[in-house]
Amino acid sequence: MVESPVQGNGQPIPEMAPQATEEAEVQGRLGLARDAEQARRALLNRPRFSVRLQIFLGNALAFLIAIAIAIALVASFHRMESKIRFLEIVNDYVMEVEQARRFEKNFFLYGTNLSDAQDNVFKAENILSRNAEELADIMGTGWREQMLPNLHRYQKLLEKLGQQPQGEQALSKQERLRVQSQVRAQGQQMVSAALGLLSKEKAALTEVLTRSRQLLFYSVGLLLLCMALNAYLLGSRMLSSIGRFGQYANRIASGDFTPLTPTRRYRDEFTELALAINSMIEELEKREAVLVQSHKMRAVGTLTAGVAHELNNPMNNITLTAHMLQEDYANLGDEERLEMIGDVVGEASRAKKIISNLLDFARESGSQLEPLDLPELLRETIALASNQIKLSGIKIDFQTSGNLPRVHGDSQQLRQVFLNLILNAIDASSKGGHIHVLVLPADEPNYLAVKVMDSGSGIPAHILPSIFDPFFTTKGKGKGTGLGLSVSQGIVAKHGGRIMVSSQEGQGATFTVVLPVTTIPAELGAKQ
Amino acid sequence: MSGNLQVLLLDDEPIVGRRLKPALAKIGCEVDVFEDPELALAKMAQKEYDVVVTDIRMDQIDGMQVLEFVRERWPRSKVIMITGYAMMSLAREAMEKGAFDFIAKPFKPDDLRRVIAKAAHALGSDIDFEAVEVEKANG
Repeated sequence: MVESPVQGNGQPIPEMAPQATEEAEVQGRLGLARDAEQARRALLNRPRFSVRLQIFLGNALAFLIAIAIAIALVASFHRMESKIRFLEIVNDYVMEVEQARRFEKNFFLYGTNLSDAQDNVFKAENILSRNAEELADIMGTGWREQMLPNLHRYQKLLEKLGQQPQGEQALSKQERLRVQSQVRAQGQQMVSAALGLLSKEKAALTEVLTRSRQLLFYSVGLLLLCMALNAYLLGSRMLSSIGRFGQYANRIASGDFTPLTPTRRYRDEFTELALAINSMIEELEKREAVLVQSHKMRAVGTLTAGVAHELNNPMNNITLTAHMLQEDYANLGDEERLEMIGDVVGEASRAKKIISNLLDFARESGSQLEPLDLPELLRETIALASNQIKLSGIKIDFQTSGNLPRVHGDSQQLRQVFLNLILNAIDASSKGGHIHVLVLPADEPNYLAVKVMDSGSGIPAHILPSIFDPFFTTKGKGKGTGLGLSVSQGIVAKHGGRIMVSSQEGQGATFTVVLPVTTIPAELGAKQ
Repeated sequence: MSGNLQVLLLDDEPIVGRRLKPALAKIGCEVDVFEDPELALAKMAQKEYDVVVTDIRMDQIDGMQVLEFVRERWPRSKVIMITGYAMMSLAREAMEKGAFDFIAKPFKPDDLRRVIAKAAHALGSDIDFEAVEVEKANG
């Protein structure tokens, strides 16, 4: 963009760039910058929740769960270990006690000595006291009261039995039988208590085993679930963002250069991408403005040939009149002289009018959106191309259905679009051809359509899809840049409309520009 | 000189006819001015002109068609084409089709007088172009 006439080449041309246009341009550019700045602030003004943080949190959670599982497993192994140890101790104890009872039985049956049995009882007591800690672990501190009194009673009874002298001091048979049954009962009770304890602890061990297996299953399940959830959240976040940016890219490619605005409540790495895209959009917009302007100057160049030719007529009239006035001055009456001078003046202003249209169009101006009367805009555009049309010997007719709503747009840029279509139609038509220009409501509501139809040779079907591509041209080298339709499409897309083409070989082509009308509030429309 | 040189002038710009009619009358031409090619063609269907001066670019019927008509109807007539400077290729085409000469806009009255004098010479009826020059010099 040329910054301003003063900065350009130091030669301000007041007529070519009046203050108002310049201000509009500055405002236009400021507006653009303001939009970009607003979008930037809105994008940044959100709490940050980065993808990196989400990955970190997800992994940390999985890690914590894994640690918890490991701790729980270690704890349950420890419990199982102590239970197994306890079972071993009780087992040893039971074996000793049973051994003691076997000796006790032998004593009663065969009269063998009791010291072996006492030995075993001593060993059993030893086992208990050696493993006091483990026993306390399982049975609590009360294990002594539970186990030892029985053992001690049994020991005492055995002692009592063993110390009994033989012969006359021997206990009465009855007394002997009583002690004997006491010993048996005591031994029995001791064994059964120990066995009961054993089976209870075995059951407890089985339960711990089952529980730790369940714990393992559930926690591994939980871990998997947590990882799957994490992967799902992370994946959907990334994929939706990538999808969104794909849409943005398509939107930008179609020429919509409005900056990206926040769509989520937080910002992250994609926000940085959005900011980068916004600055890219700004750059693209600047470049497109340059492209649009340079394309406009090309159109001006094309129009200049027609203007130069058209200027020949008033020039010729002025030349002839001036020469004849000079030649016959003496012989002419005042009236005739005045008539000839009047012709010169009239032709001079005709010449001025011929160039002023072109100068108006060529004048550089900023983007200014306003409600536009589309038929009027088309009439002006046709007037602009009229010299070209006359020169080519082509007829143009313009039709419009009355009372059309206005469209919101930039008159300069839209005129450039229509001029481009009309100049293309002129190029496509041969001498004596017809160009029809129509303005009418489009098929879809709240849109207007401008149709430019030529009676040329049409566009072959195989190139039809590529005619809007940049640098695509069917014109000879040096005649077309192939940017006309591409630039036009960009301008129309920026206005929220689109350009369509339909053509059949040999039957001309129809270009249709569809533009949205200035929106009426929905309630107003509904009430009517 | 057997009578006046009969000239038909066709240009859709009215001022051209208004200025050139008296200018050509001075060198002894009898000029019929037309702005509408159809009327001019209708007239030429009946009358043979010595010289036909026509603008190439006009709205309904262009100078080429006029040229073709005259070449066919009155082969003896000399056709002089008026062109815009941007249409030299068209002028060349006109020459190929048998135009006597062409003259590019904008031109001075004398430019056309000189071409018409040349045409008159070719027709064997010289006109006194010098007389105007002398008159102008004296005036």
